[in-house]
Amino acid sequence: MIDFRKALLRAAPALGRGALSFVVALALVALLTTWAGYDAGVLFHTLFAGAAGDGYRISESLLRSIPLVFTGLAVVVSFRAGLWNIGADGQFLAGAMAGTFVALHWNGMAQVLMLPAMFVAAWVAGAFWGWIAVWIRVRREVNEVITTIMLNLIAVQILAWLVHGPLQEQAGAYPQSDAVPAAARLPVLFAGLRLHAGAIIAVVAALLLWLLLFRFAIGLRLRAVGHNPRAARFARVALERYRILAMLLAGALAATGGIVEVSGVTGRLYENLSPGYGFTAIAVALIARLHPIGVLPAAVLFGALDTAARALERDLGVSPVFADIVQAQVILIIILLETPAIRTRLQRALAGVQARMPFRGGEHA
Amino acid sequence: MLKNRLIHFITVAVVFLLSCTGAEKHSGFKVALLSPGPISDAGWNASAWEGLQRIKSELNAHVSQVETRVPAEFEASFREYGRMGYDLVFGHGFEFQDAAATVAQDFPETVFITTSGNTVRKNVAPMVFQLEQATYLAGALAALMSKTGRIGGVGGIKIPPVQSTFAAFEAGARAVRPDIKVSFVYIGNWENVGAARQAALALIDQGCDLLIHNADAAAAGVFQAAAERNIYVFGTNKDQNTIEPEHVLASCVSDIPGAFVTMAKIVRDKKFAAKIYRLGMRDGIVSLVINPRLADRIPASARERLVSLEQRILSGALNVPGLP
Repeated sequence: MIDFRKALLRAAPALGRGALSFVVALALVALLTTWAGYDAGVLFHTLFAGAAGDGYRISESLLRSIPLVFTGLAVVVSFRAGLWNIGADGQFLAGAMAGTFVALHWNGMAQVLMLPAMFVAAWVAGAFWGWIAVWIRVRREVNEVITTIMLNLIAVQILAWLVHGPLQEQAGAYPQSDAVPAAARLPVLFAGLRLHAGAIIAVVAALLLWLLLFRFAIGLRLRAVGHNPRAARFARVALERYRILAMLLAGALAATGGIVEVSGVTGRLYENLSPGYGFTAIAVALIARLHPIGVLPAAVLFGALDTAARALERDLGVSPVFADIVQAQVILIIILLETPAIRTRLQRALAGVQARMPFRGGEHA
Repeated sequence: MLKNRLIHFITVAVVFLLSCTGAEKHSGFKVALLSPGPISDAGWNASAWEGLQRIKSELNAHVSQVETRVPAEFEASFREYGRMGYDLVFGHGFEFQDAAATVAQDFPETVFITTSGNTVRKNVAPMVFQLEQATYLAGALAALMSKTGRIGGVGGIKIPPVQSTFAAFEAGARAVRPDIKVSFVYIGNWENVGAARQAALALIDQGCDLLIHNADAAAAGVFQAAAERNIYVFGTNKDQNTIEPEHVLASCVSDIPGAFVTMAKIVRDKKFAAKIYRLGMRDGIVSLVINPRLADRIPASARERLVSLEQRILSGALNVPGLP
């Protein structure tokens, strides 16, 4: 049995640091915005109200984080196996394409069959897209950074061809697919809000990946391959097999994100389905320090920053470029504060603060 | 030292949060724009932004804009503007149709307009541009000016909105010269300048001495080819007469900013109706703009013919084929 209380206590310092870096980041943002001529108070109000002002906005922030959870997990599992998978974007699109194809092709299926069929199709396509890169790596020693980036471009072009060709809507007017049938749509969680069942799938996927990586021997070996391939080989771990496994998993995870986005949000396929989730996912995974559970808050942070940035544009007329700067600044500072030297100092300082607090909730060690 | 500073930081942040006040309320006519890309693109999005700025200055409206980069944001941004009581929200592209139709049900007081599209609801309508009226006139002018009896066109991707402009071009040419030969080539994308140049050169080699394009950014290749071989070409979508001032005879122009203002006036005056708004020459949105530097190269007889065709389109006597 897993002791969740203990796990939570163990995670407490990491969470505390995360929250602290967030606050520091915001303070620096305040400096920048004041310098740029905005009223920092109004700006912060807009930021927070825009991202979490009410139920609807919280739902939107979470909605925006769902594709980042899946692509983030894909990056985590491949990085953990020592593979620099820059191709989560292509794998995401592969899943979206395959799943949508199934939904449109067998559009009479009942929902109980439809959704599983779409997901399986997405997994197969995404795993295949990941497998191409790792196969070339294993067989020909070609660096997967190059192949995964190339495969991204290929996926984008295939998507463009599909929506201009075989999967284009019947009306033939615009480069988009027909809407998938209602049976192919994920249900929403709360009436009136857009947050859909994909959020639950995302949490489950993160938990499953954590179990696999940290509670099963297979995960230990996978991590060993990434951490120290020589030692792993010495311990008779078949490196190739685990590299392939990691990329199959990564592909399937990113692909789940793709089909969840079509099924839960857009309802159709079109060209700009991903604004580069696969690349943002790398930042998400690194902030999460390659921990599957950490991906959840990291993705939510990015999702919330996105909705907040739109609120800045909408309510204050802030240029989207400036909103991007604010967003990038928060991310940069969080990464900076996570560098080992600063982290140790912070930890010591935090321990001091905790020691003086009457409520000693921070006792973890 | 460090921890004191940390506490200070936290205090400052908390004070910020507490000191926040509610957003101020606006009054009057409120118009918003969802652009699919950066408004600094000097093209599709920039023209929408220009339209919004004109609405602001000409109608004295409160305006707001967001750049929606992800499909998930379409619906979210529409809804936010609906909640804020905006009178009119533009979604600048066909891809905004579904989101507009979904959100519109919940905000009956807000009008949602998409640039192109075919989805109509009680408070949702697309505006489409009848660029075909201008390409029809361009076709007629090309046929009247051609010495070889052969004209042509270079298209980007073979999609209905491009095909219809070419169909009208051909119809215009045949209307004034039934034996004219017209050929079109599609390069399969919107960016490849080299491919567009090759396609244009191939058409010129076949004897075409006037070309039209509908290839977006790739059209630069068509203009290059025209300059190399010294023939006339037509610009499309916007006024491209200055790109090759000695070779672009005229441009088929859709005044997108003007269309934004037109629609905003309709909504402000409560004259909005649930239908596809087809904006063309009669609305002053579409026109064939002759390059003033080359105007004297057009024979008077051809000019007269052009004017009479234009009059017939404006009066409604002539229905240009292939119109959306």
